[in-house]
Amino acid sequence: MAKTLDKKTLKKSFNNWFFWNGCSQQAESMLGMAFGQSMAPVIDELYDTREQKAAALKRHITLFNTESQVGSVCNGIAIGMEEQLANGVGTAESIQEAKVALIGPTSAIGDSLWVATIIPLLLTICLSISSSLTSAAWVGPLLYIVVYPLGTYFLSWTIFQLGYKAGLEGVQRFMASGQLDKIIRAVTILGLLVVGALTASFVTCSLNIDIKTATKVFDEATQAYIDGSISVFNLDNLLNTVFPKIVPLALTVFVYWLYTKKNWKPLVIMLLILVLAAVLTAIGYIPTIGAFV
Amino acid sequence: MTMAQVILIALFIYLAAIGSIVGNTIGWYCLGRPLVASFVVGIIMGDVQTAMIVGIPLQIAYLANVTPGGAVAWDLSYATYIGTAMALAMKGTVSSDAALIGLAFTGAGIGGVVGGTMWNVHYALDVVLNRWAERIAANGDAKKMWMPNIIGGQLIGFACRFIPAVIVLMAISAGASAGISIPDWFIKGISSFGSMMAALGMGIILSFLIKKNYDWAVFLVGFVLVTYFGLGMMSVAVIGVLAATIFYQIIDRKEAY
Repeated sequence: MAKTLDKKTLKKSFNNWFFWNGCSQQAESMLGMAFGQSMAPVIDELYDTREQKAAALKRHITLFNTESQVGSVCNGIAIGMEEQLANGVGTAESIQEAKVALIGPTSAIGDSLWVATIIPLLLTICLSISSSLTSAAWVGPLLYIVVYPLGTYFLSWTIFQLGYKAGLEGVQRFMASGQLDKIIRAVTILGLLVVGALTASFVTCSLNIDIKTATKVFDEATQAYIDGSISVFNLDNLLNTVFPKIVPLALTVFVYWLYTKKNWKPLVIMLLILVLAAVLTAIGYIPTIGAFV
Repeated sequence: MTMAQVILIALFIYLAAIGSIVGNTIGWYCLGRPLVASFVVGIIMGDVQTAMIVGIPLQIAYLANVTPGGAVAWDLSYATYIGTAMALAMKGTVSSDAALIGLAFTGAGIGGVVGGTMWNVHYALDVVLNRWAERIAANGDAKKMWMPNIIGGQLIGFACRFIPAVIVLMAISAGASAGISIPDWFIKGISSFGSMMAALGMGIILSFLIKKNYDWAVFLVGFVLVTYFGLGMMSVAVIGVLAATIFYQIIDRKEAY
């Protein structure tokens, strides 16, 4: 008689993964132990003898890594294959190979689609709500607390089941059909537009060079001319008339270049930004050319 | 800060870390986001209004703080919980919102460094758990498979995060009682650092998104929608969804990839 997993076992396996995938993350097996915990209820139900269970558990605590929210499809696929194996179809090696093959694409999709696009997008929407409702700024975070975990749980569970039902071939067929590429490409367009707008809205960087000349200025309060200064050359204003916010844009592209082309670590880039900020602030205090004096 | 507030905030610093007991979706990606973190600290310290004043710029600076491949450069949960707590604890010493935000970034800097170090300790210690997991697997004890992952991982995680957080928060609390004030030039510098930091996040996000050269043009369309047309983020998001829908319909797979 063919063995079929109980729906409860599937849910238990999914919950084990969803909540505890990062619990014991480390450099040796990455999410391996967490994957093992996710597979444990499945293995317990499918196999009878201690030897069979040991063999199955061993192959699921090995190196595994993915973006775990979208990567739940891997668990679904592995469970489907393990179920087939218990019914005498397939080999243990093919399950291993499938897992290793899934690490790359699922990490890439999860990181670029979910982590780098959906999260910043949702945060930005909540942020806009908070900034516009100054007296009720708590609405933004509250919305995020409700929408993000629930939405992600639903998505993650759906693609977990998809992996289980469609299996490796089904998921690969879906990937090969170009449908997924199209979706990713379309979401990337959305992501690029949003990141462009975010850069323009939130990255600020001033060169703080503002050469002033001493002159008499009209003082509204006293209705008289007093000693003061007017700006004759403001570098930021000049650059902004050429292309608005060109300095923040240049800084962002420079960071991108350091990160992708020069392989600088984010922490090192951060230190560079700290130094730049210190230098630019210091320029602002230089007599006769600084913006702050 | 009272001791109870210190303990509660430290508890949330642990919960909002990568791999805490509530899972990364609820922890790192939700409680760990500065917008949410400042809200939580605001509730604990009884001043949500002030907490949100610093939460918004912190969220902007760390908007793109994601963790590609588990490489934590900057520990967000440590940074923002401690940053907000510091701003609220020392708000009596400053007179403007800008100075308050400067305080938050200072606290975030301290927290980020401590947190980043503790994450590396946590990551290294977890390796030992593999031996435990291997032993359970070899015995075929499927029902015990959760123990190294949850008991082991959480004991190490809790120790690495909760205890240092309590120490840092108590130090800030003591500093606040001693009445430390921060000079104007420092606040100007740290505020400009905060807004330049947003460039780091954007640069890293771009590294995920830029696949083809013409992607730069799409990115710049988003940029000029704000600089030339003055659109808000909500409007750009709507335009983005429409553009993505149209793109999806007209795209030819071979051309796109």
